[in-house]
Amino acid sequence: MLRSPTARFLIAATLSGVLIACSGDGANGNAGSGEGPPIIKERQDNFEGIGDAFKAVRGELEKDTPDFILIAASASDINTRAAKIEGHFPTGTSVDDGFDTEALPAIWEKPEAFKAAAQKLVDESAMLVTVAGQGDKAATSAQAMTMGGACKGCHDKFRLDDEK
Amino acid sequence: MTVPRVPPAAIARDVRVWDPLLRITHWSFLLLIPTMWWTAENSKWALHRQTGLVLIGLLMFRIIWGFMGPRTARFSDFVKGPGAVIAYLRGQMAGAATQIGHSPLGGWSTLALLGAMLLQASLGLFAGDPYDGMTGPLNPLVGVMTADAITELHETFFWVIAGFIGLHLTAIAFYTVRGDDLLSPMVSGDRPPIPGVAGIGPTPWGRAAVALALAAGFALWLAYGAPPIT
Repeated sequence: MLRSPTARFLIAATLSGVLIACSGDGANGNAGSGEGPPIIKERQDNFEGIGDAFKAVRGELEKDTPDFILIAASASDINTRAAKIEGHFPTGTSVDDGFDTEALPAIWEKPEAFKAAAQKLVDESAMLVTVAGQGDKAATSAQAMTMGGACKGCHDKFRLDDEK
Repeated sequence: MTVPRVPPAAIARDVRVWDPLLRITHWSFLLLIPTMWWTAENSKWALHRQTGLVLIGLLMFRIIWGFMGPRTARFSDFVKGPGAVIAYLRGQMAGAATQIGHSPLGGWSTLALLGAMLLQASLGLFAGDPYDGMTGPLNPLVGVMTADAITELHETFFWVIAGFIGLHLTAIAFYTVRGDDLLSPMVSGDRPPIPGVAGIGPTPWGRAAVALALAAGFALWLAYGAPPIT
């Protein structure tokens, strides 16, 4: 049916590729995320929540008349979640322990620095609640960016990133 | 297929259907689309972004080639009205190929596949969050909530791409079973002769260089966040 040997090879390669992909998926499913400690999922959901709340803050600040009540509520949510970060990293849950996580071993190598980085987010988010309550867009934007710096500062040191 | 017996010297040679650049572009998708999927699944965002820009460059090349490439590459050659598609669907039930290049139905399939890939890659340009890892190069041009919505759409739309690829492979298998080998010409560029039908002839390398330069320039411009050109 197929004239060219290359064409026949491509069919064979595609079919083997599908087989490999299927078997590979099963193996990964067992070794990876499926078997990780529940705390990993819990802290990831917590960070997702922080990310969503911060997006909501920035979304409001892009508007001409931001909803400062929503910003303060989001900042308060971030504050509550930030306080949980420190307790979300029991030993043996880094990326080097083979789990599907971006938590670098530096978290456990420099526990004081990690604690301080998490505390910075607690402090800056509390400050954002206060500043947003005053209803000034420029000041709130500035504080939101400062809080964003706390996110980024911690990511740079303690989160696996392949950007560079 | 009935080929009349003729003296060896007069045996018609295979005709060229697809030029080399069209074929390279086509087969690069076989490598790049799984790479895009794998890099996304495994959070290799730097590679995802770079590969995506290469993919956009190739899509741009294919579009430009659709205006200045050889006959079978041109949109004007293969984009036909619904009447031609219906006539083709009826005629296919009876006869074999009478021309080279995309069939009226295949032409629309090509447009759909290219359009879906172009849309997906364009969404990727705006996707991501600067506070949460890598973003597409045009992410700063849209608001944070817009970027968030685009990112979700970009994730979902992959399944549309996967569906189109499934349809594409099914169609090729269908034609193969019916004795029409579409795969071999896309590999070698040639197909068995059809009486009275000429091939596409030599590749216009000069125009190819222009098309490649335009496409690469466009992808590079996007990579730098589409700065104003003055």
